[in-house]
Amino acid sequence: MSLALATKFARRELRGGLRGFRLFLACLALGVAAIAAVGSVRAAIEAGLEREGASILGGDAELELTYRFATDEERGWMQAQATAVSEIADFRSMAVVGDDRALTQVKAVDTAYPLIGTVLLRPDIPLADALASQDDIPGAVMERALIDRLGLSVGDVFALGTQSYSLRAEILREPDNAAGGFALGPRTLVLRDSLEGSGLLSTGSLFNSKYRLTLPQGADIDALELAAKETFEGSGLRWRDARNGAPGVAQFVERLSAFLILVGLSGLAVGGVGVSAAVRSYLARKTEVIATLRALGADRSTIFLTYFIQIGILSLLGVTIGVILGALLPIAASPILEARLPIPTQFSIFPAPLIEAGLYGLLTAFIFTLWPLARTDRVRAATLFRDAWDGASRLPAIPFIIATVAAIAVLVGMAGWFNGSWFLTLWTLGGIVGALVLLTIAAFGIRIAARALSHRLRGRPRFRWAMAAIGGTGEGAGAVVLSLGLGLSVLAAVGQIDGNLRQAIAGNLPAIAPSYFFVDIQKDQIDGYTERLQNDPAVSRIDSAPMLRGVLTQINDRPAIEVAGDHWVVSGDRGVTYAARPDPEAIITQGAWWPADYTGPPQISFAAEEAEEMGLALGDTITINVLGRDIRGTITSFQEVDFSTAGIGFILTMNPSALAGAPHTFISTVYAEPESEAQILRDLAAAYPNITAIRVKDAIDRVAGVLAGLAAATSYGAAATLLTGFLVLIGAAAAGADARTYEAAMLKTMGASRRMIAASFILRAALLGFAAGAVALLAGTLGGWAVSTFVMETDYTVIWPSALLIITGGIIATVLAGLGFARRALQARPARVLRARE
Amino acid sequence: MTDLIFSLKDAALRLNGNAGPVDILHGISLEVRAGESIGLIGPSGSGKSSLLMVMGGLEQATGGTVLAMGEDLTAMDEDALARFRRDRMGIVFQSFHLIPTMTALENVATPLELAGHADAYTRAEDALKTVGLAARAGHYPAQMSGGEQQRVALARATAPRPAILLADEPTGNLDSANGEAIMDLLFNLRDQFGSTLVLVTHSDALATRCDRVITLRDGRVDGARDSAAVA
Repeated sequence: MSLALATKFARRELRGGLRGFRLFLACLALGVAAIAAVGSVRAAIEAGLEREGASILGGDAELELTYRFATDEERGWMQAQATAVSEIADFRSMAVVGDDRALTQVKAVDTAYPLIGTVLLRPDIPLADALASQDDIPGAVMERALIDRLGLSVGDVFALGTQSYSLRAEILREPDNAAGGFALGPRTLVLRDSLEGSGLLSTGSLFNSKYRLTLPQGADIDALELAAKETFEGSGLRWRDARNGAPGVAQFVERLSAFLILVGLSGLAVGGVGVSAAVRSYLARKTEVIATLRALGADRSTIFLTYFIQIGILSLLGVTIGVILGALLPIAASPILEARLPIPTQFSIFPAPLIEAGLYGLLTAFIFTLWPLARTDRVRAATLFRDAWDGASRLPAIPFIIATVAAIAVLVGMAGWFNGSWFLTLWTLGGIVGALVLLTIAAFGIRIAARALSHRLRGRPRFRWAMAAIGGTGEGAGAVVLSLGLGLSVLAAVGQIDGNLRQAIAGNLPAIAPSYFFVDIQKDQIDGYTERLQNDPAVSRIDSAPMLRGVLTQINDRPAIEVAGDHWVVSGDRGVTYAARPDPEAIITQGAWWPADYTGPPQISFAAEEAEEMGLALGDTITINVLGRDIRGTITSFQEVDFSTAGIGFILTMNPSALAGAPHTFISTVYAEPESEAQILRDLAAAYPNITAIRVKDAIDRVAGVLAGLAAATSYGAAATLLTGFLVLIGAAAAGADARTYEAAMLKTMGASRRMIAASFILRAALLGFAAGAVALLAGTLGGWAVSTFVMETDYTVIWPSALLIITGGIIATVLAGLGFARRALQARPARVLRARE
Repeated sequence: MTDLIFSLKDAALRLNGNAGPVDILHGISLEVRAGESIGLIGPSGSGKSSLLMVMGGLEQATGGTVLAMGEDLTAMDEDALARFRRDRMGIVFQSFHLIPTMTALENVATPLELAGHADAYTRAEDALKTVGLAARAGHYPAQMSGGEQQRVALARATAPRPAILLADEPTGNLDSANGEAIMDLLFNLRDQFGSTLVLVTHSDALATRCDRVITLRDGRVDGARDSAAVA
């Protein structure tokens, strides 16, 4: 009965229009739009990856092997399953022009490449023509960055290892590029046959071979994947198919968008503060109507439902606006996004992310409006006769508290379920709730302190008025500190996390990191290589070690994945080395190293920290597959291995005789004076053209570049949060405008000049902004510290420039918002204001 | 005793203000019979409106008993009081208190809708006709003059034909011509429906139109007399 009537009353109340609800709608719409837009972009990328799955992968399915090509038997199996097979080899090398050299990621292909899609070149010639030999010099194509780096032009000659190539064209588009993952150098494409005799693909060299298959129509991909894994069991084979052509990219996009959506949820929480304030001030204006309805005989539930339905309809409107914006903005921006994203996208309207964003919006609106709505309970009919409105904050009735807690639980559950990371979700939402609690306490404390101070500031009217206003207008101080504070907290936390991460990567590493990594040093080259460097006074240290790559397949004769789960050590191929004696600096934590001349059954020294994580103990057996051969050894010692210094570190070291038969190369790190680095590289490359040098600083810059992109994406998310915070701030300033006008009129009546009043207004805004900024900084620093320490596991220091920016930003934002509304208050004529009040 | 509409015994009202508790009403004892009209007069702050609030269940007495139509208003919760008003009372306020987002017709229909009357709108139209505002049924409060708004408020109070009619200085915000017209309407409607009327006013002249006049001073009954005596 009361529902129908409440709906009717709500509809009538909505005739009042959207006056007073613009902030409410903007806060909800902005928060929902940000989340919907992030979700839509993610869906567009996923759709693009799915549509282009086969093209990205370069075939319907791909089998990848590490440091070896497939055996004839394995090739035979592939030929039997597929209608076409293409073989490519992917490895790092140095492109050399005279004395100049640059790191490149080489893709050596066969004539069947690419099975799907086309390689676009400039000049526009077919790939086969570009790679074919002319005058006994094979052709190659390169990415623009590398062509520019080496100063090449089409027709120029360069070398890879001992093989010369003629540059025939620039690569404009490589259809299977997105699947390649993180590359340290720009791409060069050559024919695999042309590399024979270059010394670059000899056994033991670091390369991956990939076999792309075109499958017959209607082939059962699941069955084929199973068959492949059985056939190639223990060979270190990695399977991928067109259903998930670029798992790395897909996973990266998924994680980044999950993180951005959580930042978006923080924005929505900030919006929630504004929504709550808007509903509170609306209901305060409606007190008389509510009291009248009470006097006419409406019960509490009818009145609550009336406003609940009204706010519900407005929430739906706000969420709908947000969803529409979030759906359309990415489509509108698709030309820019498509150009900037290195992966295929398919922009369209995707219902799933829009529904997700909509649900977040509705739940947030529910959570933040329920308590203000519950206050309708406390409006009594007597309010019509006298001021019987009890404006003091008090907890609402138990059912409202239970409903709010339940809604928060649903929101957390939904966020965790949608983004798949409970850890990150709980951290984020815990952070938001923690920040809100801290800010609420701070707002309360600021009011008490301001009230106490205002009594001590007699004789300084500007200060006293400012303090009295902060201490007196509970709603004003609370709304400013909460809205701006939460927005600034998110920004502060992002700033602190980003700064610390950059410091960890760019600041700390180079001081202790080597200048170069050299890989693919052949056995017969290592002595000459070492001699050249040992005699160089600019070189302070050389570390070299035999380098094999192997897949850890079994632990105690059981599949490694069963024992160690998804630990990174068993998830792919790992570096393996051998040594007769432990490194002089090595710390053996348990067990004993084998004798230098030991030739018995294979023994293993394992990295101590990882062994503990995987639950390994002395005496456990490990089976490792190196180039298709299983080697089983027993763990006889654990040693500390530090992977954080960019030096050489191996998970697993064996006694020399265990790996003597396996073909391998050497890896080496060189610590040299920066000014000698170029000369060392020139000498070594001239003597050993097959060796690849990776400049550690370049690699770090590349990683830092990727991080900068991530930080930028996160900053945009945080900026949306701050914009919402600023909107709420404007709303708070607008809500207090009438009170300020009245206050100004009263002060003028008593003889205060406009300048004096303006100074007091500015002072009040600046003090509140400073307080909000300071509390935000505290909350953001705490958040940054927690994330750096527990999630990123990096050291934490306060990033002061970012911190100071937050406080300054807080002051500027509140002063701007306050001044915008102070003008009217200062200009109003006292008589009019006071008469209107009577 | 069955025709007793109000029976107040030692009714008291104490409100908690910022400066501590304030006693508004002290030991008010009063009986009002069915169909009777009572004028409450007294200087500002004497407790007239507060007594009316207590009688209407808008404010609960903090001492003594307040029986309205045999029911103890001091024992009812907010919702029970709301239902009591819905079924038995009509109230007219000095400041009209029309709901700004509702038309005149909707304002008048609201108490009837709350009481679940299927013919709420027909009765509301009749009530508007009675106060001479049938033509303004679709207008919002902001589109009407003060006198018109008070007539709508009167229609709203009387449309459910309440047993009790409470009026708190209904002419206080109107000019004398409009005030007089409203009072005529109020008494006509009261006669028409046989309602018991309690009227708060500053004006002795208006109070004398009631059967009995009760004077309040400092929250106490200072005197009661039949209107003939006043005249």
